[in-house]
Amino acid sequence: MKKISFRNDILPLKNLLYRLALRITLDPAEAEDVVQETMIKVWNRRDSWDTIDNIEAFCTTTCRNLSLDKTRRMGRQEASLDSVATDPEDHSSASNPEEQAMQRDRVALIRQLIDRLPEKQRCVMQLRDIEGKSYKDIATLLDISEEQVKVNIFRARQAIKQQFKKTENYGL
Amino acid sequence: MDYKYIEQLLVRYWKAETSIEEEDILRAFFSQQDIPAALKQYQPLFTCQQEDADIKLGDDFDERILALTEDTEVKPVKARTISLQQQLRPLFKAAAVIAIIFSVGGALQHPWDASWNDPRIDYANSYIQQIDTADTIVPMQAENITDAPADSSKAVNETLHKE
Repeated sequence: MKKISFRNDILPLKNLLYRLALRITLDPAEAEDVVQETMIKVWNRRDSWDTIDNIEAFCTTTCRNLSLDKTRRMGRQEASLDSVATDPEDHSSASNPEEQAMQRDRVALIRQLIDRLPEKQRCVMQLRDIEGKSYKDIATLLDISEEQVKVNIFRARQAIKQQFKKTENYGL
Repeated sequence: MDYKYIEQLLVRYWKAETSIEEEDILRAFFSQQDIPAALKQYQPLFTCQQEDADIKLGDDFDERILALTEDTEVKPVKARTISLQQQLRPLFKAAAVIAIIFSVGGALQHPWDASWNDPRIDYANSYIQQIDTADTIVPMQAENITDAPADSSKAVNETLHKE
């Protein structure tokens, strides 16, 4: 097995870890702290790097656990889905800046929607739809079965789809 | 354009049956400007995925982490060979600076007015000379000038009194 270099193998994972931590903590400052703690934790285990078969999975697991700890400590208040759903939108005039602003609102709405999914679904969706990882890789990274990954992705996407349906029925 | 394919992909996307490549196709499709109205509502989801993939940590993060990790390790000191010229370079620099200070200082000791006269002073001097010569002439003239009007005024007064 090749020698692991902190600078070349672990540090470049920072953005992936940051995005994952951000998806769990939903707070940029906390997420950055989590990544820093993850890096230091992994660094302190440098003597046993050779015994770890997948350093990326190890980092991801550490990062996820730290993020979950942080979230628990922050006592994140779960806002209900209804509070973000479907604010009335006016389609009477589709002038360009207005259309763009509306588009931005919709993107923000989707982001909130993803952020309110159960934590496992959120992580799986993050790794699949944003990081573009295969089911197999996600299974390794999160230490769950591929079947579990698939089920979680399916549920997450169904939840989003339901929201689209709901919006559609309200007659946008 | 045929949107059947995209619609099919979407159906499979919701069922979590699409491959990574197919999901890339969906993202590429929804990043276009002109999306048919029927599909437009799904655009924010894929835009959101693309935007969130661009979230990054700042460059200072690397330095901070390296300072806390790798840089804390004592690195073996590497010997460097330095040529004689490199070794003496600071000395040359110091010598050059001192030379500049001395030459500028020396120049300032001898200001340039030794060979250069201020034209205003020249002019003032010549004026003083003019006044000196004028002093000898002016009283004589003054006497002449003051006598005549005094006399004439007297004469005028006398004629007035007579009347």
